[in-house]
Amino acid sequence: MWWKILTGVLIGAVVIAVFLMPPPQKELGDISRIFFFHVPVAWVTVLAFLVAMVNSILYLSRKNPVYDLQAAISSQLGFLFAILATVSGAIFAKNAWGSFWNWDPRETSVFILLLIYGAYLALRSAIEAEDRRANLSAVYSILAFITVPFLVFVVPRVFQSLHPTDTIVNSQIKFQMPPLLLFIFLGSLLGFSLLFFWIYNLEVKLNILYKKAKEVNPAR
Amino acid sequence: MSANLGVMIVVLIIWLGVFVYLLRLDKKVKELERK
Repeated sequence: MWWKILTGVLIGAVVIAVFLMPPPQKELGDISRIFFFHVPVAWVTVLAFLVAMVNSILYLSRKNPVYDLQAAISSQLGFLFAILATVSGAIFAKNAWGSFWNWDPRETSVFILLLIYGAYLALRSAIEAEDRRANLSAVYSILAFITVPFLVFVVPRVFQSLHPTDTIVNSQIKFQMPPLLLFIFLGSLLGFSLLFFWIYNLEVKLNILYKKAKEVNPAR
Repeated sequence: MSANLGVMIVVLIIWLGVFVYLLRLDKKVKELERK
């Protein structure tokens, strides 16, 4: 329970801190505050797809349907957070670069990521046989995750991009934010990660309860 | 500054709503698990 309260307090404190401090980048003004929400939401996207891949591997090795359920829920949440990252990025793009969508390498790569995981969700809903669905989607999820590091971390750094790449760490992989900003940023990362695990945990439990209820009363 | 304060209050209210909803859902799930 304590970590759920911590999640609430942490995100609340981050919201207050982000809006009360001066904008982190003077040139961009107030819109640069979105960084403290946009980056953690994008981070949770990667985390969720990683959790989905780990669950898929566990399903293939142990054939326990709970792992398949966990992989599906994690992928759904990753998809949702990817949409949130895209929307917050588009708001930033409108204010910083003049239009919501520019087909910048970062925007294009997140669009491809949404297509890949959208196809995963479509695949799951297209197969009725539980075993077959679980096996195929586990293999797809593992293959899909291989693209994530390339699309999120490599592509935007290889091609020329409008998207800032050295905001958090410099080319020597060292933090380069002022300590206060770094503190708020890490607080936001932790808060959103805990929020993801909270929702994930709740959804898994609810789905298991729903399945049990359906076994007892198939008409439900 | 005042515009920022307004946005901050709106975001805080939304977050509080989400947080309370999650806490209530959590409680409900625990009750169902006990049954």
